[in-house]
Amino acid sequence: MIPVLEVKNLVYTHRVKRSIFKPIDEFILGPINFALNAGETLAITGHNSSGKTLLAKSLVGAITPQQGSILLEGKEAKQSDKKTRNHDIRLILQHSKYSLNPAITVGSILNRTLRLNAELNEKDRKTKIEQTLVKVGLLREHYYFYRHMLSDGQQQRVSLARAMILDPKVIVADEPFAALDPSVRSQTVNLILDIQQELGMAFVFISQNLGIVRHISDKVMIMDKGKVIEAGSSQAVFNDPQHELTKKLIDSHFSLVNKHFEHFEQF
Amino acid sequence: MPLLDIKNLTVEIDTGSEFVKALDKVSLTVEKGEIRALVGESGSGKSLIVSAVIGAVPDHWIITADRLTWKGQNLLAMSNEQRRIIMRREIAVVFQDPTSSLDPSATLRAQLEESIPEELLDKGMFWKRNKQRREIAIGLMHKVGIKNHEACMQRYPHEIATDIAQKFMIAMALVSEPELLIADDSTRSMESTTKNQILRLLSGLNETKNLSILFISHDLLAISSIAHTMTVLYCGQTVESGKVQDLHNRPLHPYTKALLDSAPSFQINLPPKSHLVSLQGTIPTLKHLPIGCRLGPRCPNARKECVKVPEQRMLHHHSYSCHFPLHLPIDEQLEKDQ
Repeated sequence: MIPVLEVKNLVYTHRVKRSIFKPIDEFILGPINFALNAGETLAITGHNSSGKTLLAKSLVGAITPQQGSILLEGKEAKQSDKKTRNHDIRLILQHSKYSLNPAITVGSILNRTLRLNAELNEKDRKTKIEQTLVKVGLLREHYYFYRHMLSDGQQQRVSLARAMILDPKVIVADEPFAALDPSVRSQTVNLILDIQQELGMAFVFISQNLGIVRHISDKVMIMDKGKVIEAGSSQAVFNDPQHELTKKLIDSHFSLVNKHFEHFEQF
Repeated sequence: MPLLDIKNLTVEIDTGSEFVKALDKVSLTVEKGEIRALVGESGSGKSLIVSAVIGAVPDHWIITADRLTWKGQNLLAMSNEQRRIIMRREIAVVFQDPTSSLDPSATLRAQLEESIPEELLDKGMFWKRNKQRREIAIGLMHKVGIKNHEACMQRYPHEIATDIAQKFMIAMALVSEPELLIADDSTRSMESTTKNQILRLLSGLNETKNLSILFISHDLLAISSIAHTMTVLYCGQTVESGKVQDLHNRPLHPYTKALLDSAPSFQINLPPKSHLVSLQGTIPTLKHLPIGCRLGPRCPNARKECVKVPEQRMLHHHSYSCHFPLHLPIDEQLEKDQ
């Protein structure tokens, strides 16, 4: 089986020159290699400023990596080939509040996405938008709503709708649950699981919440300072972490869980 | 006598056209040496309770309470000066968003040294004071787990990472050796190792210095690892409160149960990629509050009685506000009412 998304030797170097007297600040991301099959979820986790968001950005083409290639279904997706890049890999950002245009309705946000990336006429676009809204658990009427009229969870649904309206092969989600409350978060988790099962999309999912990572991912990749320090199937990594830092991360999460169950047994 | 005692606190907010009860009869106590967790979703009024306690609410909002006392002194009847003295020495607050609640125009060193009370410096000569201040500041930085204090102290708030800013806020709060620390969402946006460090620090302070903590969060994992008691807030109403163990083992309110079930870490036997338990809908906005029990429209057990606000009932130091608590079968309840 050819993987949907394959990343080979991706390297991105970020250089900032603050002053002529100081050395240049450098952040090197990569080299990163992974392959993802349809219907699978890859979770990327790690400390703050370990390059997770940079990786997400370079996957969707928001920044240009210096080296390496991104293969979509075995064919190389060039940076210049915006058409397939925009169509097949879609991004969900952490704060949908800030990533939706406040001045236009939900309908026009989705309509723009379609107009720019798909060849449909006006009527088809409208039916497609309505179908997608229903699919993410909103109503048809939400077409005429503005961003501020929706709650946090509904905004997150709109960004999910914007990501999946083009029937992409891969969705990249950068901390999609971090800003949500527990009850809305589990709704969104359920929704994403359903959609993945139904449409067989591949998911790249960045999060620090190891409880959710373990729950929804098939593969995990742990990053530190721009390098991948451990990768593998979630079960293997969570049961038997190899790298020092991974052990620390996982132990600290499970020590909290264990404490909770100690409480439980005292009763 | 509890340190902080809040009974039936109601805060009415001016929305322009009318007054809305953002907090509706909230009760909360913090005993000496206790870690009390306050759980709630965003918009449930957690931070508003903090503002009401420290007195940082606009004058035209209406605050009424049967009791709002600090060690028996009524906070509402106090003059601003008296209240400020208490806030300065006895209650310390770590605010929600650390980078924006620090002064952007001063270095961290200046801010931390400024917050050291005069009484803590021994009465040496005035030229020794600065050195003493610096030593106290460095000691505090180490205590909260900031290792390279030199690099950190010369910076401005926007130049440091959020988790370091969070630790720094805790250091600033601890400088006056308070009796109560109010930590408003202190572990948000932290990876689990840093989070553990902060939690260890807080529970260590609680054990060694007998510091009481009001720990406000929606991270149930963190709460169950450090807190002794917890209060669940939904949309400005207290839903349930009691010991953490009791609430975990036998939640009586449907909201508490849904909240606990929504965290995948608490369920060992949950198969991967299966559905999580969740309530329908989202928390209502202040302009569209339902009458009666505010969980009503989302509650799986809601009946027509739920349009009345439920009374708070007690069961072995475990209080809850629900017409149809989970430990009683619903039919039996209805028969009793008839």
